[in-house]
Amino acid sequence: MDTKIDFQHKMSAHCETGTLTSLLSNVGLEITEPMAFGISHGIFFGYFKSKNFPFPTFIVRSRPGEIREKLSNALKIELKRFKFKNQEEGMQKLDSLLDEGHVVGTQVDFFYMDYLPEWIRVHNNVHFVNIIGKKDTDYIVSDSYHQRTANINSSLLKKARWAGGYMAPNGFLYYPLKVNPDVDLKKPIINGIKKACRNMLNIPIPFLGVKGIYKFADKINTWPQLTRDIEHLSHEIMKINILLEDQGTGGAGFRYMYATFLKQASNILNNPVLNEMSERIMEIGDDWRNISYFAAKIGKNRDLGANRIKELSELIRKQGDAEKKFFTDLKKVY
Amino acid sequence: MTEKNNPELALEITKLIIEKLNILHVTAEEVNINSPLFGDDNELDLDSIDAIEIVVELQKTYGVRINNELPVREILYSIQSLVDFLTKENATKKII
Repeated sequence: MDTKIDFQHKMSAHCETGTLTSLLSNVGLEITEPMAFGISHGIFFGYFKSKNFPFPTFIVRSRPGEIREKLSNALKIELKRFKFKNQEEGMQKLDSLLDEGHVVGTQVDFFYMDYLPEWIRVHNNVHFVNIIGKKDTDYIVSDSYHQRTANINSSLLKKARWAGGYMAPNGFLYYPLKVNPDVDLKKPIINGIKKACRNMLNIPIPFLGVKGIYKFADKINTWPQLTRDIEHLSHEIMKINILLEDQGTGGAGFRYMYATFLKQASNILNNPVLNEMSERIMEIGDDWRNISYFAAKIGKNRDLGANRIKELSELIRKQGDAEKKFFTDLKKVY
Repeated sequence: MTEKNNPELALEITKLIIEKLNILHVTAEEVNINSPLFGDDNELDLDSIDAIEIVVELQKTYGVRINNELPVREILYSIQSLVDFLTKENATKKII
């Protein structure tokens, strides 16, 4: 049966927050993307060397899916979630939810979203889109990275929902069952700020939070020994730019998005100090962006001598200092 | 984004991009300011790494910050969309 649910498509900086806030808006809860990010204390840093990654890497936000879960807890949003081993069952469930009139949040491998230009599509198992209808063998998709709604063939969507590998989607679907459109954001904002400060400053693991930034600053000096040749090193150095700027971070590794959250929080809580903190994290974001720029430039030009890597390491260390001071001061506000 | 033609600014931005990204195969005058800056077969042969260089250079040169509050993909679509953005932000004069 053909279905198309009335849905306001919006573009956004980041797929998880964009999909979630559009979905919530559709059922009456208006919340901005930065507000969802801030309340769910999405800002983070971690430096990892793991068997799951072919090379050491870093993250600048909480684990995919946590924004949805933390926000729903904080705002008492009731969500229905499903995962499927059986693909047919998972596709049928999607159809039945659409028939019931639900817009459905869906986890997919970004690579299969063939309405987006080929040159930006890479395998990434934690892309989120909303499915808003079905026409013949196509599903109608609201993807926050695309200017308008798009169609995707059923067989391709199936591949995208059951792509294998790290953080495989396993056909994950969700939709909001109940929201409070008049929810008071004040307490969730304060809790979100406190938890972000705790995560950045107090997790006793040496590669998480601010400690992770320092770890990154130290370990990047060893990258030349971990790489096969200059091409490999150049590729890994240029990936710094991609992780900070190119993966729906809103720029500067989500630091700009957190700045916008604090600005909005300042208005809601009528607290000008948060506005000052917003300016400060915006400036810290500028410095992360300069690191992206520096990494992109030296990587591209194969200008990767020990002094250059050391220079990059020092820039990252300064970010550790700046974020340590920032979150220590932010912690004092509440 | 509403188009506000400003050929002088368009040429200035094109020259800035060509100079900063060390592009040798085309001159500023030859670039079609309405063509997409990124994607297959773009005239300047730009990639996503170049995007950040453009953003940083625009901030340094014109004092504008392109962040999550803005429709980044639309702003970076073409030279003309950059002109429109700087005009809208009232940031058409160089600060350096």
